[in-house]
Amino acid sequence: MSMNILGAEATEEKAENARLSSFVGALALGDLVKSTLGPKGMNKILQSASTGEINVTNDGATILKAIQLDNAAAKILVNISKVQDDEVGDGTTSVCVLAAELLREAEKLIAQRIHPQTIIEGYRIASAAALEALEKSAVDNSADPVKFRQDLVNIARTTLSSKVLSQDKNYFSNLAVDAVLRLKGSTDLDHIQIIKKVGGKLTDSYLDEGFILDKTIGVNCPKRLENAKILIANTSMDTDKIKIFGARVKVDSTGKLAELERAEREKMKSKVEAIAAHGINVFVNRQLIYNYPESLLAEKGILTIEHADFEGVERLSLVTGGEIASTFDRPDLVKLGQCDLIEEIIIGEDKLIKFSGVAAGQACTVVLRGSTHQMVDEAERSLHDALSVLSQTVKETRVALGGGCAEMLMSCAVDNEAKRVMGKKAIAVEAFSHALRQLPTILADNAGYDSSDLVSRLRAAHYDGQSDAGLDMDQGTIGSMRQLGITESYKLKRQVVLSASEAAEMILRVDDILRATPRKREAV
Amino acid sequence: MGTRTAALGPVPAKSGSNAAFNDKGKPMEVRQSNMIAAKAISDAVRTSLGPRGMDKMIQTSKGEVIVTNDGATILRSIQALHPAAKMLVDLSAAQDVEAGDGTTSVVVLAGSLLGAAEKMLNKGIHPTIIAEAFLKASAKAVEYLTEISVPVNLDDDAALRRAATTSLNSKIVSQYSSTLAPIAVQAVRRLVTQTSSNVDLRDIRIVKKVGGTIEDTELVEGVVLNQNVVVSAGGPTRVEKAKIGLIQFQLSAPKPDMDNTVIINDYRQMDKVIKEGRQYLLNMFKKIKKAGCNVLLIQKSILRDAVDETALSFLKKLNILVVKDVERDEIEFLSKSLACKPVADIEAFTEDKLGYAELVDETSDSGPKVVRITGIKNKGKTVSILAMGSNNLILEECERSLHDALCVVRCLVKKRALIAGGGSPEIHVSRLLADYAHSLKGMEAYCFQAYADALEVIPTTLAENAGLNPIAIVTELRNRHALGERNAGINVRTGLISNILDEDVVQPLLVSTSAIELSTETICLLLKIDDYVHAR
Repeated sequence: MSMNILGAEATEEKAENARLSSFVGALALGDLVKSTLGPKGMNKILQSASTGEINVTNDGATILKAIQLDNAAAKILVNISKVQDDEVGDGTTSVCVLAAELLREAEKLIAQRIHPQTIIEGYRIASAAALEALEKSAVDNSADPVKFRQDLVNIARTTLSSKVLSQDKNYFSNLAVDAVLRLKGSTDLDHIQIIKKVGGKLTDSYLDEGFILDKTIGVNCPKRLENAKILIANTSMDTDKIKIFGARVKVDSTGKLAELERAEREKMKSKVEAIAAHGINVFVNRQLIYNYPESLLAEKGILTIEHADFEGVERLSLVTGGEIASTFDRPDLVKLGQCDLIEEIIIGEDKLIKFSGVAAGQACTVVLRGSTHQMVDEAERSLHDALSVLSQTVKETRVALGGGCAEMLMSCAVDNEAKRVMGKKAIAVEAFSHALRQLPTILADNAGYDSSDLVSRLRAAHYDGQSDAGLDMDQGTIGSMRQLGITESYKLKRQVVLSASEAAEMILRVDDILRATPRKREAV
Repeated sequence: MGTRTAALGPVPAKSGSNAAFNDKGKPMEVRQSNMIAAKAISDAVRTSLGPRGMDKMIQTSKGEVIVTNDGATILRSIQALHPAAKMLVDLSAAQDVEAGDGTTSVVVLAGSLLGAAEKMLNKGIHPTIIAEAFLKASAKAVEYLTEISVPVNLDDDAALRRAATTSLNSKIVSQYSSTLAPIAVQAVRRLVTQTSSNVDLRDIRIVKKVGGTIEDTELVEGVVLNQNVVVSAGGPTRVEKAKIGLIQFQLSAPKPDMDNTVIINDYRQMDKVIKEGRQYLLNMFKKIKKAGCNVLLIQKSILRDAVDETALSFLKKLNILVVKDVERDEIEFLSKSLACKPVADIEAFTEDKLGYAELVDETSDSGPKVVRITGIKNKGKTVSILAMGSNNLILEECERSLHDALCVVRCLVKKRALIAGGGSPEIHVSRLLADYAHSLKGMEAYCFQAYADALEVIPTTLAENAGLNPIAIVTELRNRHALGERNAGINVRTGLISNILDEDVVQPLLVSTSAIELSTETICLLLKIDDYVHAR
């Protein structure tokens, strides 16, 4: 007699099946994003099923976040890619691809009847060896500001060369470095605001000091103001209605009604007086400022900006140093924002408000232009990646070499280690080295070069002692990455190896996948 | 390719070697589908290019009918579903923002570049190589264009007018270009100074009135209102020495923001309610009269009536001209133009907030009733254009064309240089690029050549649309350019090749350069796509 042990729709996959399904999912995901890797990588169109909105991108994290998955292992890969995005900001594709390659190797080993735990053991030895080699090769130039800046520019160039901005990478890498150096070591990218405006070409983008708010100045206000004292508020500027449902006033004549109306106006007026008592000349409100208060404020020579949104108000408070106020009874307790100049500027066809000379000197704005929405969106993602990598590099100043150089270096080190390892796990160590070599292979494949030829020559170069050899993707040859200036952040590379091997381990350990009964939904 | 020539290692530089590039089935399929969609879009607008281009009739989902020749308008109304098609629609919109004109050209150019890219792909060249070469070619093309451009002075009325006329000539309203071009030029010139680098077109207001003909379109000294005077109570329609008040409150029975009920217990109270209502209004009018105001512009309110019957009769007695339903977004423009301040509360209604004009008059000289405000004291830097047309369709198109013409003049303010029209610059650039391609090696040379050929789509389409033999015309044009006549272009009127500068067919440099740059940028993004991913 058969008995249901699990719930009606819950499923269980065991041993071989479980492993197979993890491998299939992870490999499929790795293959999907693989083609976006490197300077000659391709883009993907993401089309949203619900809204039909389209996005063109080659950012691994963006692609992975967008796809719908029903595979536990694949979800783990998406997760490590997200973590990479949060931690370093770039290398989101690499980490996913490396994890997939590690699993591909593991699959072969399992077919040779090697126990998963043995493989994990080997992988651990290998990743330790790889990280050691990486650390040895890392260079720290932070003592020399000129050299360090060059490092940063190089990192930005390397990051951007695999993105939509590759053609203008020189321009944007300098822009990104300028922006990050303004932060003076802080990794708070909130200070760098990115404004996207369709129209113009990519190189029309520029870095502007200060803060730009995509709103308009109220009617009848000066369009230019120096030495601004800003009160940032989140308050409703319509009549303070009694917030009780159904409250209603009963009167017996029109005159009373008029009095009521007058009283409401007076109330508003006193609120405006209270606001003006702060000694300000700029009033920014998150909510609407209606005609009446607006004209009262304008009369007092106060510039008003209404409907500035949560984001706008918060950023403004961050960069000008003001607090967001919602009551105005105690002017002495409210911290006002300061800036040297407020003026209207035109970008494309839109008028925006620029706050320059703000209290937070590190704040700046990047205005991105491009021919289509997809273009500026992708440019923003690329620039954000570059900015976050740079800001991380300012903290962890060591740099490694890109262009497949660091991977090959690690692969060689792991190979050497493998010779010293005894037992079956040596095979796993070798497999790890092979997986590392897959990254330069994919780079070359994506560019349409003969990968087997190039990678074998690259390996030979490394064994010859040319430890800075990598793939020159422009010429299709082996070149010195140090001379070509293809550098990447050490932290990025380390994080890639660390999280990829951890994720691979985690997936390898699985021998049973239990799936809970899906939550029942009513038919829509 | 090849920015870094420092090739290392013993192997000779295999510049752009593609020996091992074999595209897989799916990426190729995706690319094909992108190209088909993009070309479909470009073909849809292709026939509307040039002075002999045809118009499109669009029926919107609301059942409205639009007849237009403007690329951006056509594309906006097409409900493109395919991602690549959507990108081309966006491209046209971007050109609209950047240059305002050339919205058709940019899409036609993009379609042609895609065609060229397709041929390159079939040869087995890697898409990223094509994309990079195209971007470089576009930079080179812009360089060549800048080289042949003629600087223009903003004081040179004739030159500006020629550029505006060229733009208008390809529109439905082309026969009125002699009326509209000077209007566009003057409107922009009133706003610019020698140093300004941009013009905010929101300071130019086009007021549309059905009636009369396009020839009656004029640049108004002063301000024209969208709205008409309220005459139901027999108030004045003409006020000399006007003192204008722009008010944001209403002249009707009081209504607080809080919910309220007026309870009437007996009939005597009814009289009281009416009396107090009158008293309330009377107090308001006392203040208005005290300020000396005799023209009132009232902002629209959704909560209560702008004026009620009683108020109107008071207004008539006081001989005050009333215009209601002024939109909130018009307030800024009006207060700037009339040099008056908007008043939001009766208490604040004082004389210093009023604007002063010699005459406010509602006339119907050329058909529809129009309120004009002239002789404004301290007039702000704004311009009003009164556009007229016999029906709504033509009027809308007239506005779009006028907007394009204004943009053309604005382009000249942004970048003060002109180039020839009539397909001449495209042929010129195409020839130079082809020459330059000969000096290159490898894949790049091929791509440059293809790019150069793709540029010829503009003269070809111009000739096609004019009913000429495109091959004969384009080859002759090429020939004339090779012989050194670098201003030779297609004279669509005579169907011959002639010096296009003599024909006064000129366009701003910015329109051409931005078309080339934007279309190339978009094509490169499209080329690099190898997969669709369905997202949530």
